[in-house]
Amino acid sequence: MPWRRILLTLAVILPLVAVLAFGFSRDPRYIASPLIGRPAPPFTVTLFDGKTLSLADLRGKVVFLNFWASWCPPCRAEARDLEAVWQRYRDKNIVFLGIDIQDTEKEAFAFLKEFQITYPNGRDASGKISIDYGVWGIPETFFIDPEGRITYKHVGGLEYPIIVAKLDEARRGLISAKEGKGAYQSIR
Amino acid sequence: MPSLVILVLSLLVLPTGLQAQPTDLEEQLRAISKELRCPVCQNLSIADSPSEMAQQMRALIREQLKEGKSPKEIKAYFTSKYGEWILLSPTTKGFSLLVWILPFIALTGGIIFVLLVARRWVQRKGESRPSEVDPALIQRVQQDVSTERVWEIDPEIEGPRAHLLNEQARLYTELQELEFDYQAGRLSESDYEDLRPRYEAQAAKVLRELDSSPAEAMSKKRPHRAERQAKDAGPAQNGKAQSRRGWIFAATGAFLLVFGVTLGIFLSKSLRPRGSEQDSITGDFLTGTGPGGLSADPGMRRADLQSLLTQGHAAFERQDWSQAIDAFKKVLAIDSDRPEAHTYMGLILTQAGHVDGALLAFNRALSTNPEYPLALWGKGMVLYRDKGDLSGARQNLQKLVSLLPSGKERFEVQKTIDELTNRQATPAKSKQSVTNPSRIEGTISVDSKLKAKLDSGDALFIIVRSANSAKGPPLAVKKIDRPVFPLSYSLGPENMMMSGRPFGGKVNVSVRLDRDGNALTREPGSLMGTYEKNPVEIGTQGVDIILDQVL
Repeated sequence: MPWRRILLTLAVILPLVAVLAFGFSRDPRYIASPLIGRPAPPFTVTLFDGKTLSLADLRGKVVFLNFWASWCPPCRAEARDLEAVWQRYRDKNIVFLGIDIQDTEKEAFAFLKEFQITYPNGRDASGKISIDYGVWGIPETFFIDPEGRITYKHVGGLEYPIIVAKLDEARRGLISAKEGKGAYQSIR
Repeated sequence: MPSLVILVLSLLVLPTGLQAQPTDLEEQLRAISKELRCPVCQNLSIADSPSEMAQQMRALIREQLKEGKSPKEIKAYFTSKYGEWILLSPTTKGFSLLVWILPFIALTGGIIFVLLVARRWVQRKGESRPSEVDPALIQRVQQDVSTERVWEIDPEIEGPRAHLLNEQARLYTELQELEFDYQAGRLSESDYEDLRPRYEAQAAKVLRELDSSPAEAMSKKRPHRAERQAKDAGPAQNGKAQSRRGWIFAATGAFLLVFGVTLGIFLSKSLRPRGSEQDSITGDFLTGTGPGGLSADPGMRRADLQSLLTQGHAAFERQDWSQAIDAFKKVLAIDSDRPEAHTYMGLILTQAGHVDGALLAFNRALSTNPEYPLALWGKGMVLYRDKGDLSGARQNLQKLVSLLPSGKERFEVQKTIDELTNRQATPAKSKQSVTNPSRIEGTISVDSKLKAKLDSGDALFIIVRSANSAKGPPLAVKKIDRPVFPLSYSLGPENMMMSGRPFGGKVNVSVRLDRDGNALTREPGSLMGTYEKNPVEIGTQGVDIILDQVL
């Protein structure tokens, strides 16, 4: 009889503990994206140099789309690696595009200057593009294949080797099942 | 407050017809944004959140409403971007349905549980309903009680029926006393009518149990103690019950202990003080949210440090010395003890020929981390190649070997040590002369104009062909994956293509930096280089080759 009672108690408590353990082992801020494998939402952005750029014009190229802000430490951490990859692969049918969000123009300029960033960058003042891409924590990066599909999404800082690997996957149109995750900063 | 006054006034003054449209829009906006979760807050709707993100989202909803989109379409838009997560109340479909159903299931389960427990309590107190009892048994009880027999409780009888017999005796005595009290007028009729059937029913139940349990011979009055508590079980059963109770206590205690410790560990590991409003309290160990927490500024510098190291490392690999020096200097400005930075500085200084400066840098790195492999390697090689301090070099390299896991790197270091030991045994006469009769040694570098053509995936082949036969397979080939230039190499009999042939005589030495690492194919873009003074005698040192041709 007492054994039955112990089993009964465990049967009630263990699922509760399991639910708690599951809850604690998750990042409550993490939002899984439904966009991977889908066509990248189209947009047109005004670059810092005054030109405008449409995603549609980049069809046929691998696009590295990076959302950032000057106040975000992980964005600073990855900035040099991004520029290094861009320098290395810029003439291999790959386009890097930075979208600055929730930022002032002055600070964004200072950021670009500090890290000597040469790939095109534009500002999304209204937040429309970032909402269109479901952005919630920066830096957030989307890899888009030549057919305009999102093949991979990474929330948080990126490093040289993974960028190169994922660019290659995007070039071949390989879609990653899982999102990548590094140190990120929630947007405001 | 003033804005509120203005709002109220404007509502009063303006005709309502004009107001209808915008209010409607605002109401719709509010209704929709109340249903959407703010991605950067914790359990706040977009309507309630003051964050920039929520403001932008509200602006977008307003815009879409003006475009004539229905609330359903707008919600579908946000769901397509952020997933079901964005809806504050989950949909009543699929897995989310559980969220709606489970509370009700739990509630129903709880009510049933409470009812069951309550019923059991009631039954234990013996309030079984008289209707459940056989009238024949009641009759027997009444007959038994009406006899003049005195029913005694005997605490010392034993056996499985003992407690039943005692219970029977107790109830019969109660009934007799009840009867007596009633007859004597000490009990009201209503009380008597209430209590009697209850006792009778209980007694009838005991009778039924007595009838169903086999009548055993009672072992009366055993000499040793039979406690009062033992009345519901024999001593063997009693002991069993006690040990079982002990087990329950132990199990409960152990469970509570494990639960507490686990909770303590998990909570302290997965929670941290919030560094800023943006920061999450969960992270690190379990959720991998990564660094954050307190002290945002040093964190930023730390993050910078890591990227500077990566940058410096990349520049070093590209042989962009000035950029590498720049990066490592910045690292040292933030953290003056960083062994990686000192080591790379040392390596760069070695390349530039500043041997003493390099040694200083390696020593600095080793003073912070005496087991930093790259610094040990750098110091060992400088002592060996440039200083000629063979025993010092050996000491460093041997320490490195003891630190490295067995593998290619360790093998290489061990090879260098062996080489060094050989040299110690037969001291070199002069630096450039033949030192090791069966090896070819030297360095390989890249023409400065061709550095841009380097790729991290390249593989370097050092090819040694016999000077006599230009055709046929090479005499020896050495492959070096991901070479870092300038690179010093050493080729010996172990690199021969076919064993059995002697490794000696005059040879032509050339190198190829291959795009795909396949020795048999030659891709356009591969870099080539041949030794200027080919052919050369095996055993020569200082066979320095520059990669200066493009295929």
